[in-house]
Amino acid sequence: MTRGVEPPSDEELVAAVLAGDPERFGELVERYQVRLVNYLFRLLRNPDDAHDLAQEVLVKVYQALDRFDPQFRFSTWLFRIAQNSAIDQIRRRRFRLVSLSPETADGEGREWDLPAPERGPYGDLRNRERGDAIQEAIEALPWEYRELILLRHMGELPYEEIARMKEMPLGTVKNKLFRGRQLLKEKLQEFLSD
Amino acid sequence: MDSPDHTLYREWLYLDADGELAEEDRPAWERHLAACPECAAERRDLEALDVLLARERLPVRDGFRRQVMAALPTVGWEARAPRAWGFPLAMVVLLAGLATALLGNGAPAVSGWQAVTAVGDMFQAGLLAGAGLLAASWRGVGMVFQGTLTPAALAGFAVFVLCLNLFLVSLLKRRKGLPARRS
Repeated sequence: MTRGVEPPSDEELVAAVLAGDPERFGELVERYQVRLVNYLFRLLRNPDDAHDLAQEVLVKVYQALDRFDPQFRFSTWLFRIAQNSAIDQIRRRRFRLVSLSPETADGEGREWDLPAPERGPYGDLRNRERGDAIQEAIEALPWEYRELILLRHMGELPYEEIARMKEMPLGTVKNKLFRGRQLLKEKLQEFLSD
Repeated sequence: MDSPDHTLYREWLYLDADGELAEEDRPAWERHLAACPECAAERRDLEALDVLLARERLPVRDGFRRQVMAALPTVGWEARAPRAWGFPLAMVVLLAGLATALLGNGAPAVSGWQAVTAVGDMFQAGLLAGAGLLAASWRGVGMVFQGTLTPAALAGFAVFVLCLNLFLVSLLKRRKGLPARRS
């Protein structure tokens, strides 16, 4: 009976790339592309922009690979760069992001907004409704909940990594995630039984 | 519902939904789920929410990995990587081997110093060959080796010229930079 071979860890792949095998970076791309693109899509609301920015982020990561500190997880580092890049892009566009909650972490309302979401990926009417509802529900979340929800559900980062990335206590991450999911659940109740 | 115990169970509810519940807490949690319809319903809703969000994932476009790899630039740390020195090292070994072959060529008329200068001239001739002056360099090599050019040395020189040209081409080749942003 053949025993399964453990896939290399992210840190082992990074080491292999730095040792002179850049093609191994493709395995990291393969591993994170879905999570990264979807995370950016929920922030930027445009599939093309999400793919373009994901590519930029991965190139930035590659360029800075020799500065990667192995005391952090690669995924933490990757999504920190992704989040910073997404925020930079949103600021550059000078759109207004409207939060339905007047209160944010710093007590002030944000002033960014984003264009209407693309309807491209969705098929029939119910799928479009569901897709739109999810996007609206995510955008209705206060930013402090939204960023954690996206890191957890799109980036699939565990709690400890999110806490480390956001430099937040673990308990705070859990509380904000719990609250964010409650809010999401309330808004998407209609679609939970689909 | 809001008893201290239930506050803990509410936390376990979300931890369990995220796969973060500690194994030592699982038996107590499973017992509570079996006995509390409200938590059980909430657990089902959370699972449904996870399924819903996962279902609405955007598919990654075809060729994304290939595009990323094609966009990777040449970076400074690549030159420091061990494998980046492989080809130059192979070239040094090849030159050394060629010098050894020339020195041991069995041509008593060629002194050691003449063999070394011949290798130097051969290197120079190789560069010229790479720039499209193969005929002129070949004549130059013939002048240097006059009478001592054996089939082995000739074959060694041909390999040397080929490797040198490949090395020069690799220096000229550059990866593409970042693609233009879509409008």
